[in-house]
Parts: sequence; C-alpha cells; structure tokens
Amino acid sequence: MESVLSVRSVTRRFGNRSGGLVAVDDLSFEVRQGELFGLLGPNGAGKTTTLNLITGLLGRHGGAITVLGYDPEQEPRRVRRRIGLVPQETNVYTDLSALDNLWHHAALYCDDLSGVKARIQELLTLVNLWERRKDPVRTFSGGMKRRLALARALLHEPEIILFDEPTMGVDVQGRHALWAHISELQARGKTFILSTNDMAEADALCDRLVIIDHGQAIALDTPENLKTDLGRDIVLLRTTPEVAAPEALFAGLGVQATTRPEPGLLRFEVAGAERLVGDLVSRVTAEHRLESLRIARPSLDDVFLHHTGRALRE
Amino acid sequence: MRRFRRLLANEFKLFRTAIPIHVVITVQPTILYLLMSVILVHPTFDMHVARPATGEGLALVAAMEEVGSPIGLPYINPILVDWDGGPVTRQVVVVEEQRDADGVHPVAVQYYGLIDSNLVKNFRNRLTAAVLILWNESLDARAVTVEQHPWLPHDVPYTVYFGMALLPLTASIAASVLGGALTAQEFEFGTILEYRLAPVSPAWILGARLTRLVLWSLIAAVMLLVAIGLTTGAWPDSFLGVGLILVPVGLIAGCLGVLAVLVFRKLIPAFLVGLVASFVGWLLGSAFGLAAGFGGLYELVSRFTPGTHAVELLFPRYLGIEIGSPRISVLVLVLLSVGMVALTGLAYRWRVLRRA
Repeated sequence: MESVLSVRSVTRRFGNRSGGLVAVDDLSFEVRQGELFGLLGPNGAGKTTTLNLITGLLGRHGGAITVLGYDPEQEPRRVRRRIGLVPQETNVYTDLSALDNLWHHAALYCDDLSGVKARIQELLTLVNLWERRKDPVRTFSGGMKRRLALARALLHEPEIILFDEPTMGVDVQGRHALWAHISELQARGKTFILSTNDMAEADALCDRLVIIDHGQAIALDTPENLKTDLGRDIVLLRTTPEVAAPEALFAGLGVQATTRPEPGLLRFEVAGAERLVGDLVSRVTAEHRLESLRIARPSLDDVFLHHTGRALRE
Repeated sequence: MRRFRRLLANEFKLFRTAIPIHVVITVQPTILYLLMSVILVHPTFDMHVARPATGEGLALVAAMEEVGSPIGLPYINPILVDWDGGPVTRQVVVVEEQRDADGVHPVAVQYYGLIDSNLVKNFRNRLTAAVLILWNESLDARAVTVEQHPWLPHDVPYTVYFGMALLPLTASIAASVLGGALTAQEFEFGTILEYRLAPVSPAWILGARLTRLVLWSLIAAVMLLVAIGLTTGAWPDSFLGVGLILVPVGLIAGCLGVLAVLVFRKLIPAFLVGLVASFVGWLLGSAFGLAAGFGGLYELVSRFTPGTHAVELLFPRYLGIEIGSPRISVLVLVLLSVGMVALTGLAYRWRVLRRA
C-alpha cells in the first residue's frame, strides 16, 4: 500500500539545546493509505508532540516529515487541507449547537460550501448526534463531545485523521461507540493515526503501531506480531507465603523478567507456560500454599514492560 | 494564628496563577489617574488675552492672574497674544473702551470659537471674578461690562454635545470588550487551535473578526444615536456619515481588544484593558468639550486619541458647523486604524500562528 505519511529520524527538543527536554528523539515510522496506525506510549512519551509535528504546529529540530508528499513546515496549508485533527482536549464551542460548530468549521476549512449541508447530516448521523444537532454542546456528555469533534475533523473530507487520545475521559459505552465509528470510517478508506496510552484501545483498533517511550520508538509492528515476538507467556502467581527467591525456585525453566506488581503477587515471563504448569505447581506447592495461578498471552502492556522495564501506566 | 499565616502565605503564592490580572488591576488605576489628572485635577484654564494697550487692560490681566481657589490655585492662566480681530478657534479676551454719557468705561469682551456652552459658562464665571477684583481694586464707581461674542451661529446644547461625544465611546467599548472577550474565549476553550490549523490566510480570519466587531460597535452606536435623537431632537444630517466616522473608532478599539488578549491570553485582563482604554480615550478625547476649548496639555494629548478626531468630524453632522481640520482628522483616524490593524496582525502571527 502507498505510504501517506513518512516520519524519518525526527527530533524535537523543548527548552535550550544543551539542557532541554528531548520530546521526540530520532523517531521514524511510515503510515500506509487506509491504515489505522497507533502511537502508543505512556503520558509524556512524545505522542502529542509527534502529532503536532505532523500538523506543522511545531517545528522539528531534525529529520524529515512528509504528509501526502508535502512537508508540513514548508507547505502547511496544503497539508492542513488534507488532514483532520481531533485534539486531546475537546475544543468545541459549548454554547453553540452541534450544527453551528460544524458550520463554523466548514467556513474555515471547506473551499466549497455547496455540499456541506448534506455532509453535516451524513456525519452527525454517522456519529449518532443528528437527533441532538440543535442542542447546545454544553448539554452533551464527554463521549458525545468527542464524537462531535470527530465529525468536525471529518467535515472537510481529510485523507488522514489524527486522533489524540480518542477516548480519554469517555465512559465505557461511549468508548465502544467511538471505536465503532473509527472502524467504520477506516472501512470507508480513511487513514487514522491514533495517539493513545490505552493498550486495549490500541489492541482493538490499530493495524500497526509504534510504541514510544521518552520520544523514541521502541517497537513497531502489528499488535499481534508485537505480542507474538515476545515469545513468552505471562504467569501471575499468588502464594502464601510469598516466593522469596523465584530465580532459585524456578531454576532451569527459563523464567525471565520477574517482578512483583503488588504484595503477594509474582509476575514472570516464560516460554510455553502451558507445558510447564505441572512443574511450576509442584515446585511452588512444595513449600507454599498456592492461592492462584494465571497464565496469559502477552498484552501490549507486557510488550512495553519487556522493552522498558516499566508498566505502560507507571 | 499560625494556620492563618500559612493560609495568607498561600493566598499570596496564588499570585502566580493570575499574574496578568494582578498587574492590570494594580497598574491601571494609576495610569487612569495620571491621564485623568490632565483634565480633572488641574483647575487652571488657559485664556488668551489680546495684548492690552491700556492700563486698565493690564490691570485686568493682573486681576485674572489673581483669581483662584481658596487655597491659592489659579483659575486662569492668561496668555498674551497679538490678535488681529480675525476669527478665533478657542477664545480671546479683549479689553476695550466704551464711551457713553457717563464717560469712558472699560469693556472685557470675550470672543470664543470652538467652545460649547458649558465651557463658555466656565470661562465667563472666571472672567467675571477677575473683573470683580479689578473693580474692587481700581475702578471705583465706574461700571465694567463682560460681553460674549460667539463665532458659531448658534449655541451648542450641552446634552447634544455630550451625547455626540459619547458615540465614539460606545463604539469603542463595544468593539474592544467584545474583541477581547471573543478572542480570550478561543484561548480558554482551546478553539484557537481551529484557527491555527485552518488552511486559510490569517488575514481573512482576522479581517472577519474585526469586521464583526466594527459592525457590532455600529449597532451599539445606533442605539445611542436614536436615544440622543429622541431625547434632544438632534439628529445627524447623515446616518451614513456618522457610521463612516465611527468605523475607524470601532476598528481601532477592536484591534486593541484583540491585542490585549494576544498579550494576556485571558479574559479579565483583556476586558479591563478594553474598558479602561475606552474610558480614558473618551475622557481625553473631547468627552466634555472640544479639545480646543481646553487648550494646553489636554488639547495636546487629546490630539492622539481617535475620540477627539471623531468628535470634530461628528460636530458638523450634528450642528452643521465645520470645525477643526476635517482632512487631518480623517487622516489621523485612517493612520491609527492602519497602524492598529498592522500591529494586531503582527501580534496574531506571533502569538497564534508562530510555529513553536
């Protein structure tokens, strides 16, 4: 598939060059046409900065970015005509209606207003807000505001939609509704770039994703491949008393990355955990009472933990 | 008490959460006072006096210098001028002699030009006080008369003048406060991002906002104009003319409101700047009388306000008499408008569009 966005060795600092913070550090990735691409990382990892570099709101200190063939710093208007941004903070006019918000956007972003009326109806219907189109936005829930912001970002028919933390502050119901809208839009050929620190969201939506930490890409692939590449299962073991020396107890089984997420709970990675269950249980129960044993396939959080030694939400 | 001291310390630390508001509310009254003192605090009026040729004329000038408040502040600052008897824009006092059956009487003649009835009353009262001193001191039983010779064909009703001078203030408040509020809202709600990313020229965006502010300021001015008309019976000879005069006032004020937000990025300081600047501009801009009538520092300062030029252009629309220099007033208003629009455009580029 054709690449619509290319980020190559991009660097962005804040503060002075010597002692400032490097928010994006030699970051590279490509996004293909029609893809739903994720930027996954903890808060402060550099995801929003990356989106701002793509839109040209921020200038970069190194590297190159092309959006649909244009450099956002050199030709910001060409780029901005073709992208839609849903920012992290929902920035809609709360005293205006949903309709008025979209017309306001149309005046700023649409060269030709002839088809806008129909498009507004189509988009508000798509995000299930048509019935509430005349209500002031201040009466909307957080999820409804996010859906309105999404409809607004789509109004000028952008080829790429940048969505910063799509479901932040949105309840479970609203979150699933929003995911459904995003998937439907992707099915219609839109390219999405999502920034999120929610691994479930990234897992559910993204075709491919880049995991970012301290501004650097630490892994890039499909969620499935990233988890499979880990090559190990996750074991969560609760015993009484605690296993004091897991390395010694499980010697020879290939146990790695042992951590204690909470008191009494031991977490480790091991290849082929299913085959080792019997051995694990017998070693544990020799001197401990087994409270629970859970074997899970790795999540994206585990991938992040594997690469950084820290949990995604730490 | 220790708890109270801690709480008080916390209160002062919160200064950092609203630095612009603290600065504005602290500094603005002082600025307002300093500017207002030009017209309100100083009691002395400049009064031109034709260089006297007689002893009585010189005695009157001395008496004028003597008139003052109980604490000794002079009410009149007589400025001797060589006057050829031609029309005057301010006022000139001339001491003449009048001969009748009883002999020769000195006459203090007050010629005045661009001065409304309220100021004439003020000047006449002061001049009369000077004449009384002169009479008591040296004229014995001889009569002295104070006459007034207006150059305008009719008196200027103060209610009309005051209402007319309020028109620029109305336009100014509407545009500056509204401009500040609307733009501050964009920063506070984050909607400024919509403008930052919009693929259109910032000139169009700023142009639309300023046009809207000007139009709203005209709506506010029309309401006042109707109120003046209904209460005094005075209507301008051309509504379009009044509108065209107020357009630059609204534009300048609208720019000021937007600029204040681009500096402070918050509503309240921007609101205060718009409000205070409008009132100061009004007070210094011929609010209570034509600048030429006050003379001195007031006139000098008022020449830099859009209000003075707007009032001098409105004067013929309401009172049928051309005053001042309309071409210069138009030029000043146009230059101020262009300057403020350019400044606002630069600030918009710098504060909104600049790539960080």
